[in-house]
Amino acid sequence: MSLRLLASILALALACTGNIDEPDPMETDPDPEVELPAFVPVAPNLPRLTAAQYRNTLLEVFGDPLPAFELEADTNPHLFFSIGAAQTTVSERGVDQYEIAATNIARALFADPARRDALLGCPLTADGCARSYVERLGRRLFRRPLDDDEVERWLEVATIGDDPMRGLEYVTSGMLQAPSFLYRAELGHETPEGTRALDGYEVAARLSFLFLDRGPDDALLDAAAAGALDDEGGIDEAARQLMDDPRARQTVRAFFEQYLDLVRLDRLTRDPARYPGWSESLRFAMRTEVELLVDDLVFERDADVRELFTTRRTFVNTTLAEFYGLDAPGAGPITFVPVEFPLDGPRAGLLTFAGPLAMNAHPTETSPTLRGKYVRERVLCESVPAPPDDVDLNIPEAPVGEPRTLRERLEQHRADERCAACHAFIDPPGMLFQHFDSVGAYRETENGLPIDATGDLDGTFLADARDLAEALRTDERVPRCIVRQLFRHATGRLEEASEARPLRALEDEFAASGYRFRELMLELARSEVFRVSGALDEEVEE
Amino acid sequence: MSAKRTRRVRDVLGRRLSRRTVLRGTLASGALASIALPPLEAMFGDSVASASELGPIFGLYFWANGVPWHAGHGSEQAGHPDLWTPATTGVDFAPSELLMELARHRVSVVTGTEPKTEIPTAPPGQGDGHMRGFMVSMTGDRIRPEGFDHPSHTLTALRPTLDHLVAHHPDFYGERPARFRSLTLGISEARFHDYGHWNAISYRGPNSFNLPILRPSRLHDQLFDVPDDVIEQGRRGAILDAVLEDARRLEARVGARDRRRIQDHLEHVHEIQRRLDSSGVFLGEPPPRPADAGDLIERSEQMAELLVLALQTGMTRVFSYMFTSPATTHVFSNLGVPDGMHKTVHDGHWERTRAITAYQMDAFARLLDRMAAATDPTGTSLLDRALVYGISEYGEGYKHSTREMPIVLAGGANGRLQRATHVRDPSGNLCRVQLTMLQALGLPFTEFGFHGAQTTDPYAELFA
Repeated sequence: MSLRLLASILALALACTGNIDEPDPMETDPDPEVELPAFVPVAPNLPRLTAAQYRNTLLEVFGDPLPAFELEADTNPHLFFSIGAAQTTVSERGVDQYEIAATNIARALFADPARRDALLGCPLTADGCARSYVERLGRRLFRRPLDDDEVERWLEVATIGDDPMRGLEYVTSGMLQAPSFLYRAELGHETPEGTRALDGYEVAARLSFLFLDRGPDDALLDAAAAGALDDEGGIDEAARQLMDDPRARQTVRAFFEQYLDLVRLDRLTRDPARYPGWSESLRFAMRTEVELLVDDLVFERDADVRELFTTRRTFVNTTLAEFYGLDAPGAGPITFVPVEFPLDGPRAGLLTFAGPLAMNAHPTETSPTLRGKYVRERVLCESVPAPPDDVDLNIPEAPVGEPRTLRERLEQHRADERCAACHAFIDPPGMLFQHFDSVGAYRETENGLPIDATGDLDGTFLADARDLAEALRTDERVPRCIVRQLFRHATGRLEEASEARPLRALEDEFAASGYRFRELMLELARSEVFRVSGALDEEVEE
Repeated sequence: MSAKRTRRVRDVLGRRLSRRTVLRGTLASGALASIALPPLEAMFGDSVASASELGPIFGLYFWANGVPWHAGHGSEQAGHPDLWTPATTGVDFAPSELLMELARHRVSVVTGTEPKTEIPTAPPGQGDGHMRGFMVSMTGDRIRPEGFDHPSHTLTALRPTLDHLVAHHPDFYGERPARFRSLTLGISEARFHDYGHWNAISYRGPNSFNLPILRPSRLHDQLFDVPDDVIEQGRRGAILDAVLEDARRLEARVGARDRRRIQDHLEHVHEIQRRLDSSGVFLGEPPPRPADAGDLIERSEQMAELLVLALQTGMTRVFSYMFTSPATTHVFSNLGVPDGMHKTVHDGHWERTRAITAYQMDAFARLLDRMAAATDPTGTSLLDRALVYGISEYGEGYKHSTREMPIVLAGGANGRLQRATHVRDPSGNLCRVQLTMLQALGLPFTEFGFHGAQTTDPYAELFA
């Protein structure tokens, strides 16, 4: 029986009390006295480049501009594109798109004599020029030096056709669709202990993807070649340099967008007749607000990242300022400025921002269940169990002519004891947001009735969403969840129980750093779990 | 080694060149006009050959959220009339309200069936209609228990979906596969989640999707954006030899699970190489690239027009057509429905569900209109050749019941399928329908269905 299957059975047995995710030791009790099982490294996986990684790497290697191209859309099981990239198999159409993209990109690069010559760096007639191009481009794209057989093979590609320059275009096209480029083979080599340790090039690649979401540049590959990434000190130094690279901001933002599931905002539709405040520009502002807050917390102020869920400081343009009813001197339609939510106002923390409120609601009414689920799953890393197969999943409609609040309707629903246990877990934190409608606007009434936005978190009474923000300020599940989400994002898989020990160490260091996200990323880069894998899996499924 | 490789490439190129020179010569001499085929069939050089074999076409039309619920789905769903099940059975049955539009194409229906797969107790939630009903409709098997997670709706298939199964069955295309073994299409971009079957209904196998082409403009690119330089096309195929070699090198280094992923990648490269190698130059004038419509029916008309062209020219004989994805969140505001469809059915809005289902059947009927209108010189239409399996993920969405699965079998399967026939099989095994289809397509299946849903018993009354 697989660990996850076992975990799920246990989760079922635990029903809806307390932490109900896979009950691995790091989850059930953070008590440092509890003995954690020994660290057993997990088999390496083989992530395909995400579309962003493909594009970023090409921009890095070839510069701007690149011709337009489309790749197969990434998928995000368990929130992260990296997990989809490691878990799923590319489709035929996806491979077709690689072929077309590679062909067009190579053609465009070689159609421009200046660009082509710069890429080659030598006159093609010069001795060894083609070979040097194959070796240099191969190393950049495959993130390691090519072996002799490979160099010969790609030099053969250069002889396709009768024009040597076109031949190098074909080499470029071929490498851009070669699995050695498309798949991150950070497989390591076997150690006497039976584990697999990454070599310097693989460490370089992993660092570069973690911090910059692209393959390593020549300097980092040179560092790998020189053995500079063979020890923790060298890795730490390289990691700090990468963290200070301005492009790391985009990578961190992309992580938070996935962790917070902001992509859902892109598809949000609301009827402006029903919600006069709604507009496309509001939707755009909702997303930008979160991005700027993350950037501010992680880079501008290098502050305690838990503030995400408690902050009164946020960023608004004129659209959002009007939506929130805030004065925002200096704001414009596309200019965002920092503002503070008033202390006596209803908003505190990301969960009370327009975006998360709107994306966890339905087009015609809010959903305490979706909002509560977001708190449980995203913020606390808890899992909401499946409803029993035979249960009535519907919320009763209010009788005609007798308006009800959603709370009243949900309470009817919760009278069913088969539902009650789980909904008592999900709904109460979600109820705290009932003062915010389906686009996240503040309201005093619902269907003409006064709103009761009280709720609780694990039995502790909370008066409203501001109380929740206060409770989350010190809730130790919040930073543990951030550690876990980053780990999943970085490794492209869910954590295993055997990794509890290094994860606990990361949590401790994160706390010691004052919960600064930059430090967490650097700790992860130094962590053993980041550069040691288990034996390759050889079992046959099914 | 170097010399050998180079020689092989050149041999290949030489062969390709000579054949294509012939093709071009045909065009230059004006002989095209004298070919006794609809002009479209002559468009794609040597793919005419496979089109002229006129083998059956297999299509799959998927719509979201079942049909409006009624007592047949369960006692809690009672109180509304059954708008789906025809009142009479057998040939020339009296169509029901929701089948009225489809009836003009003399479709057959099977009513009463349901999934019969066993439901493992762990992980929990595998009985959910959205997921179990979908998987049995599409694969004849249950969800893959490993990795299943109900709370996040993470699921995958154990085996290929029917479109993929048929397109890759050795007996379907035989020695001469069409340019595309299948086309995977979708219309609505709304989705319940970003991954898995919530936006992709076609699987190769576990965690291996065929993501749909969701825009008519993209289908146009796929079909007609073909390099017009045959020499260049041959060289692109030759480059892929190096790509394959690189894949094999990687394949040898990875673990078992990833080895399968790389092997699939290799297979795809072979398929693309075959396409580059065998497809001629597009000799006709392609239709204009459409500007993707926002309205679902308009978009579906654009997509269907291109699909029919692809079927007519023999570019493919298999397609899946996801009008809406399972549990769709699409807001049918054009029908006066303010919420996403999934919430609408959940909230019990029966009249709204009725309107949306009628709309989805209208879109289905329009696709069939186009297939029926595309005839060859003998008067045989694409629909005569086709078997289009119309299916949703469950019976109804109010309670997610998988009883009374709505199933349409459109087309004549090259004369093998009895048309305009209603088969009523209360609590019957859905996999009997699938076995019937596979046999009607001439594939050597004597049994279908898995994990408790096995059957050797097709619906004989559906064979012509």
